[in-house]
Amino acid sequence: MALADAWKQLSWFYYQYVLVTALYMLEPWERTIFNSLLITVAAMAVYTGYVFMPQHIMAILHYFEVVQ
Amino acid sequence: MIRTDEHHSCKGTPMCHSDQKQLQSNSMKNGYHKKEKVQKNGKGDGFHQPRVRGEDSFEEAPMYVAVLTYMGYGIVILFGYFRDFLRAVGFEKCHQAQEREEQKDFVPLYQDFENFYKRNLYTRVRDNWNRPICSLPGPVFDVMERVSDDYNWTFRLTGRTIENVINMGSYNYLGFAENNVDFLKTVAEETRQYGVGVCSTRQELGNLSTHEKLERLVAEFLGVESAMAFGMGFATNSMNIPALVGKGCLILSDELNHTSLILGARLSGATIRVFKHNNMQSLEKMLKDAICSGQPRTHRAWKKILIMVEGIYSMEGSLVRLPEILALKKKYKAYLYLDEAHSIGAVGPTGRGVTEYFGVDPNEVDVLMGTFTKSFGAAGGYIAGKKELVDYLRSHSHSAVYATAMSPPVVEQIIRAIKCIMGVDGTTEGQRRVRQLAENTRYLRSRLKEMGFIIYGNQDSPVVPLLLYLPGKVGAFSRAMLKRKIGVVVVGFPATPITEARARFCVSAAHTREMLDKVLQSLDELGDDIKLKFSRHRSSYRPELYDETDFELDS
Repeated sequence: MALADAWKQLSWFYYQYVLVTALYMLEPWERTIFNSLLITVAAMAVYTGYVFMPQHIMAILHYFEVVQ
Repeated sequence: MIRTDEHHSCKGTPMCHSDQKQLQSNSMKNGYHKKEKVQKNGKGDGFHQPRVRGEDSFEEAPMYVAVLTYMGYGIVILFGYFRDFLRAVGFEKCHQAQEREEQKDFVPLYQDFENFYKRNLYTRVRDNWNRPICSLPGPVFDVMERVSDDYNWTFRLTGRTIENVINMGSYNYLGFAENNVDFLKTVAEETRQYGVGVCSTRQELGNLSTHEKLERLVAEFLGVESAMAFGMGFATNSMNIPALVGKGCLILSDELNHTSLILGARLSGATIRVFKHNNMQSLEKMLKDAICSGQPRTHRAWKKILIMVEGIYSMEGSLVRLPEILALKKKYKAYLYLDEAHSIGAVGPTGRGVTEYFGVDPNEVDVLMGTFTKSFGAAGGYIAGKKELVDYLRSHSHSAVYATAMSPPVVEQIIRAIKCIMGVDGTTEGQRRVRQLAENTRYLRSRLKEMGFIIYGNQDSPVVPLLLYLPGKVGAFSRAMLKRKIGVVVVGFPATPITEARARFCVSAAHTREMLDKVLQSLDELGDDIKLKFSRHRSSYRPELYDETDFELDS
């Protein structure tokens, strides 16, 4: 029951996203292209963050002389 | 002196003569008026006082809405370029008109890029317009169901009808689009006697007695000397303005005037200057500049200055500021052309239009124009004013000389509608309808505002634009409303500014309280579902009248 509610809520959020970005007007294959592009870019950003975040945090702490 | 110049250059045009009489009665010396009462109250019964015009609301949407609108258009335009590329390369079939193979080397007939908007944005949501209707467009109507297999390039009718769709889009303000046999008795009689075709122009053999009757009735209804009726409302504007003004005249037209007025102004060859919508400071500045500097290169005085405004603006629902414009007109000696297409029959305590609403004498407006399409349930337009003006137009207007005369049943429909509104037919049906329309308008507008939608326009105008802003929501709104059996008209670019797409509701006297409640309930649900309730009750961003004015209203 909770799963069905969650699914309905998620599908409403997806509907809002599609309306606001005007993807509602596009054909399904165009939506697929746009969503893939968006997910690719977001995935690359998350991956870069994951790889470089420790280095960046160490550099900040080094700058503020919290750690040598 | 300006006066003798005017007399010289417009010999034979009747506008000059009537203005001469007005000038003598005003007796202006050195720009100061004698303190006499120039404005008379309208003919309305003493019970109805001239209304204080409420303020038009043009509420601004939150910033994120504007940003998202531009972003949405940007994404669709990018995909438009992508699809055009695919069509050019040949991956995709081009559905648009193209030249034949043999003519590929000729000068191109079809301009591809100019139709970019139509091809890539409009076609995607095209199923919301031109819907085929198979019943009378009364308060409820039947829509034929149609589907598209190739994303709106072609349609096919399924054969089913969607019945009893509530009609919130037809200009049926007083509910005269009806097929009640009792009301239409005279129309049937007229058809039996005169037939339907006239086969001639008014000037030749098409001047029927019904046309004369209609014109006398329209003049009496409006409270002016004389009127003339034409077969098409758009043609009334575009064909008659060239007859009234020409080269060497100045037209001051409102920013949001209808295409017919703009076309008529362009056809006339006069100089056109545009003032900001309903902004009297802008208009006064332009009048001052025009009178001080005269014509552009020669600095001669303008032959005529014509101010063109509308009673109700159909895309905004705002009302004209008539008393201020009349004061300006008298001060600077300009002429006024008032296009009451949407306001005749729809505003005013007895349905006589904006002149009655503001309590001004209709004889003060030089040219009163209106249409029979909206409140009277027929087709055509009229121009009314002084007798010399209308007699001049009878021989000099293109529409009068070349257009076929109006069809007799249509004329009889207008006659019976006007008689009903005036109460001449012995019932109070007309007045009941006018009051019902005012009540429906107030109800719908106040409830929509309460719910949190952004509504433009004056509180008394039966045209209610509801702002949608985002391009994706425009299509979704119209389709969802049709699914709930309510027919609406949505408008986007280029009829409105690009960020302000809207749905336009036209309230009718034939709508019952239950219908309006059903519409309001659906709008409430849909507003929450699609998130359309942007209102934060903020004041408008368009420049309003300042508190200080430098003309006297009651001089």
